[in-house]
Amino acid sequence: MKTIHKFSAIALVAMIVITSGCGSKRSPGRVYMPDMAYSRTYEAYDLLDSTKFTGDVNNKGGNMIYFNAMPAAGSIKRGDLFPYTLPNDSIGYNMSGAIANPVGELSVADMAEAGRLYNINCAVCHGAKGKANGPMSGKVGGIVDITLPQYQALGDGTIFHVMTYGKNNMGSYASQLTKEQRWKIVKYVRTLQGGGAAATSDSTNTATAVPDSTANAKKTM
Amino acid sequence: MLIVCGFPVLFLQPSKDISPLLSLITTDMSRYRKIINKLFASFLFIAVFSINNNARAQDGEALFKSKCASCHKVDKDFTGPALQGWSSRIPSPDWIYKWIASPAKMIATDPYAKQLADKWKPSVMTAFPELKKEEIDAILAFVDAPVKTPPPGETPGGAPANDNSLWYGILTLVLALVAFILLQVNSNLRKLSDDKEGVFRGEPVPFYRNKTYLMTGILLLFTMSGYFFVNGAIGLGRHKNYQPEQPIYYSHKVHAGVNQISCLYCHGSAQDSKHAGIPSVNVCMNCHMAIKEYGGDKIFKEDGTEVNGTEEIQKLYKYAGWNPATAKYNPDNNGDGTPDGAKPIEWVKIHNLPDHVYFNHSQHVKVGKQQCQTCHGNIQEMPEVYQASELSMGWCINCHRETKVDFNSDSTGNKFYSIYEKFHKDLKNNKMDSVTVEHIGGTECQKCHY
Repeated sequence: MKTIHKFSAIALVAMIVITSGCGSKRSPGRVYMPDMAYSRTYEAYDLLDSTKFTGDVNNKGGNMIYFNAMPAAGSIKRGDLFPYTLPNDSIGYNMSGAIANPVGELSVADMAEAGRLYNINCAVCHGAKGKANGPMSGKVGGIVDITLPQYQALGDGTIFHVMTYGKNNMGSYASQLTKEQRWKIVKYVRTLQGGGAAATSDSTNTATAVPDSTANAKKTM
Repeated sequence: MLIVCGFPVLFLQPSKDISPLLSLITTDMSRYRKIINKLFASFLFIAVFSINNNARAQDGEALFKSKCASCHKVDKDFTGPALQGWSSRIPSPDWIYKWIASPAKMIATDPYAKQLADKWKPSVMTAFPELKKEEIDAILAFVDAPVKTPPPGETPGGAPANDNSLWYGILTLVLALVAFILLQVNSNLRKLSDDKEGVFRGEPVPFYRNKTYLMTGILLLFTMSGYFFVNGAIGLGRHKNYQPEQPIYYSHKVHAGVNQISCLYCHGSAQDSKHAGIPSVNVCMNCHMAIKEYGGDKIFKEDGTEVNGTEEIQKLYKYAGWNPATAKYNPDNNGDGTPDGAKPIEWVKIHNLPDHVYFNHSQHVKVGKQQCQTCHGNIQEMPEVYQASELSMGWCINCHRETKVDFNSDSTGNKFYSIYEKFHKDLKNNKMDSVTVEHIGGTECQKCHY
């Protein structure tokens, strides 16, 4: 009889211990072998020892995140376009119109890709057709209808300049889109404005890609 | 009965009334023609006038929405000033038409226009020379119309879901107790009857020393503890439903669901790299430079406490080193390349794979064309994100076994599958009916355990 008592007591304790770990949603719970589960190498966005990862004397405060590491000043990635050198001010803005689009005629696939990028990054405010009627219009102020004549009159370089540095309520997209992607989107914007030969052949593409800008469906991704 | 009786009356009644009226119209038509004509004309006039009026008010709203709403709100300052009460602010009645036609000219000449431009710098009012005077009047009439306030929002939540399991549990317990009592009564009665018939039977064993009861109890305990033990042991190291509290209450439901921002707007590196990427603060600021307060439906934490969305946006401004009063980033006086006071947001990582598993986002998103929701669940409906899938090996392998590789859509770009022409031929010759991820090496150990 005593062994039965002992056995049931052990079973009860084991049951409580195992199940008590899974109660809270706020804690991740336990793992079998921490050595295998948690990385000992540096992972992206990890907290890093600030004494090793910054030269800034004022900024040594234990483990911190360092995810703003920029490439060395003046370095150009292999195969990348030449850096855009105009400054972010009115002089740069005025000069930007003279800069030609380094990207040549886009193939159908490239144009579809530019449209996809437009739908992800731009259409949320400017609308899939550029009519300033995206889901965020009315929440973000000052969204322009890019199909208006005054925006059709802008040079390719000026549109690129605005994407790179932002303007008024629009932020900079330099961290989200590469230079080449931005120039390609300029081409796509031209088709929305009714210019360019690809406009007609691509209009069907655009129409099908509209739900792409929502989080719910991304089949053409 | 009443309804049935009412029908004939209904049918009879008008016929009595109409017959003299009909005869009146047919016989004395000429006499009343003039009056009828006049009535008709005045009716037409009123109708046309009122339709015209309606159209104007609607025009005002439509025009406001298409021309003004991107910068102006009726009752609130936005990119430009609130338009309500415009007439009391302008210096002369015709000022407003001149201003709308050419703001630049007015800023140069008119002192009030200059004052406005200074106040709302750097935004400058767009010129609308194409708007006619009547159209401007229509817009202004719409602006001056009283604002319809929506009825106060009902508090969401409501009655908790009907959960009957507690009642079933109580019922089971009661029934078990009844069965137990009946068994005891049965054994007592048997003893009584045995005593009467003269059959000898010892004192009944008390239930807590009854071997049948004890064995049943132990078996029950063993099964239950075994069930919980095995489940707990399998769950060890898997974090399904893990929902940590984040430094800022960021609702994916508001951003990806209500506002339909694409997942890839913020997590763009999911297409290009191993990591889906946590957006840097400047990506948040793309919209939140302009969106300073939360105006949507009420938002709640998992435990039911309400969250003040505007305060959460203020937290973001602190992390970004952004001064909402001046609408500028703080100056960088300490020379670390970021605005003073700015620091990275320490988001808590939810989806963790063990160190010995390699997972690449771009491989799944760009090449495999999987939707984010396949693994992350309905993110666009989660106020606070939790881990929706097991992320266990069996779960991965299952998907790799079932997911069909799409050869057709890749005729333009991806040449990777061209080496699998054999599969094409086999499919054509009906040697196989489909190609699964397993066929192209999806269950090879090194794919994940590199």
